[in-house]
Amino acid sequence: MIQLLLFPATLLIALIFGLPLVRYTWLSFHADSVLTGLVAIPNHGANWLRLLHDERFWQDTYQTARFATVSVSLELLLAIAIALLLDQRWRGRGVVRAISLLPWALPTTVMALGWRWIFNTPYGPIEQFAELIGLQPLNILSNPNITWIATVFGDVWKTTPFAALILLAGLQTIPNDLYEAFYLEGGHPRAALFQITLPLLQPYLLLSLLFRLAQAFGVFDLIQVMTGGGPAGSTESLALYAYLNAMRFLDFGYSATVMISGFLLLVIACLLIWLIIQQARHWREAVK
Amino acid sequence: MMRHRNLLITVLLLWSLAPLLWQVYTSFSTHEALLQPLGEHNHRWTLDNYRQVLTANPPFWRYLFNSVIVGIGSTGLTLLLAIPAAYSLSKVSQNVARTAKFLLFGAALFPYVLLFLALLELARSLNLGNNLLALSFPYAALSMPLAVLLLLSAFRDLPSELEEAARLEGLGLWQRLRWILIPLIGPATASTAILVFLFSWNEYPIAMTWISRADLLTLPVAIARIAGSSVYSIPYGAYAAATVLGALPLLLLVLIFQRQIVSGLTQGAIKG
Repeated sequence: MIQLLLFPATLLIALIFGLPLVRYTWLSFHADSVLTGLVAIPNHGANWLRLLHDERFWQDTYQTARFATVSVSLELLLAIAIALLLDQRWRGRGVVRAISLLPWALPTTVMALGWRWIFNTPYGPIEQFAELIGLQPLNILSNPNITWIATVFGDVWKTTPFAALILLAGLQTIPNDLYEAFYLEGGHPRAALFQITLPLLQPYLLLSLLFRLAQAFGVFDLIQVMTGGGPAGSTESLALYAYLNAMRFLDFGYSATVMISGFLLLVIACLLIWLIIQQARHWREAVK
Repeated sequence: MMRHRNLLITVLLLWSLAPLLWQVYTSFSTHEALLQPLGEHNHRWTLDNYRQVLTANPPFWRYLFNSVIVGIGSTGLTLLLAIPAAYSLSKVSQNVARTAKFLLFGAALFPYVLLFLALLELARSLNLGNNLLALSFPYAALSMPLAVLLLLSAFRDLPSELEEAARLEGLGLWQRLRWILIPLIGPATASTAILVFLFSWNEYPIAMTWISRADLLTLPVAIARIAGSSVYSIPYGAYAAATVLGALPLLLLVLIFQRQIVSGLTQGAIKG
C-alpha cells in the first residue's frame, strides 16, 4: 500500500529521464533528418562511424573537457577560500552569505548577456580599462584563443557559491575540539588547514566536484547566449553541438548520437575520477 | 588578522556584485554615455532604457508573469509527487531505500540539457507545446531527485513513536500525513519549494524548445532571444535594463529565503 505512493514520482522520472535515453539509443542507429523527410530509417551504425571521423565533434569534446576541468578546478579553489571565510564568526556574515549567493540564483542567460556587454570590444569596461592603461584592444569575444577563458570566468562567477555552500556545510561538521587540541600541542593554523580541515572536508569536496563536473560538462545556456559557440567554433560545447544538429541542421539521428556519446564520456570521466581518488587513498594508506 | 579578513570580505562582495552593478550603471546610461564613458555629456543619465523594455510588445513584465506561473505549477506538482514518494521511501527496507537513493543521486547529477530533443518530441506528440503549465511536467521530474532526497531525510529525522502513537489513536495514513507528518516537515518542504522554484525560474533549454509564442516566453528565454536578435548593433542599455528587471525578483527571493535556500542545498547534498 505504502509502496503505491512511490508510483507517480517513479513514473514521471522514468518518463522524463528514461524514455529519452532509450529513444536516443534507438535514434542513433537511424538516419532521421531533412534528407530522409524526417522519417527514421535504419542506417546500420553510420551515425557512429560519422562521429568517429567528425573533427568538429572531437574538437568540441576537447573544448568541453578543457572548459569543465579549468572552471571546476578554479571554482573549488575559490569555494574553499569562501567557505573558510564564511565559516568564521563575524558581524554581517548572514548578509554577505546572501549576497554571495546571488550569482548562483540568477538565470544563466541573464548574466550571459551581461558578460557580453562587459567583455564587449571596444565599449565594455574591460576594454576601456585596457585602453586607459595603453594596451592594444584585447578583442576578448572575437579572439578564438581567449574567448573560452571569458566563458570560464562567467561559469566560475555563477557556480562558485554553490560549491562554497556545500563546503561550508562540510566545515560546520568538523568539531571545534579537534582544532583546540591541535593548537594546544603547538600546531600552526596553516598546518591545521592541511592536517585537519582539508582531510575532513574530503567527502564534501568530492561531492561538489562530481556535481560541478557533471554540470560543467553539460554547459549550454552560458555558451549559447554569451558566444553562440564562436568565434570560429572555439567555445562550442558538446551540448551546443547536439542542439545545433537537431535544431539548425535538422539531423535528429546524428544529434541523438552526439548526446549519447556526451553522456557516455561523462560517465567515463566520473568513473576515472572515482578510480583516481580510490587509488590516491590507497597510496596514502600504504605510505602511512 | 581582522584587517586581513575585512579585505577578503570586500573582495568577495566586489566579486559577487560588481558585474551586477555594472548592469545597473549601464541601464541608467544614455547611448552616448556608453560609447564615450569618459567624455562630457549633457545627458548622462536616463530612464529611456527602462521605458523601452517596459513598453515593448509584449512588455517585459509579461515574461516575469509567465515565469511565476511556471514556477508555481512546477513547485506544486513536485511537492505533490515528492512528499508521498519520500514518505514511502522512509518506510521501505534499508536496501531498497539505499538503491533508490543511489539512483536519485545519479539522476540529480545528470546534465539534463541532453534530454531536450526527446522531450521536445514528447511535447510535440502530446501537443504540450506553447503551454506554460505543461512545462511543470519536465520541471517536476528534473527537480524530483533533489526534492525526494531532501524530504526523505526530513521524514527520517521524525521520531517514529510519533506516527505510532497517531496510528494507535486510530488515524489513517492520509490523516497521519495531513495532520501530523506534513506539518512537521514544514521547514524541509519550504527549502524544497524554493529550490524547485529557482530551478524552474532559471531553466532555459526546455523552455526555449517548448515555447515559441512571444507572449508565452519565460524570462530566461526572452532574455536570450534579445541577445540573439542582432549581432552587430546591440542596444546594450535596453539589455541591461532587462537584466536588472530580471534580476530584481531573484534578489528579493534570495534575501527573503536565504536560510531555506542554504539549508536546502546543504541538507540535500549531505544527507542525500
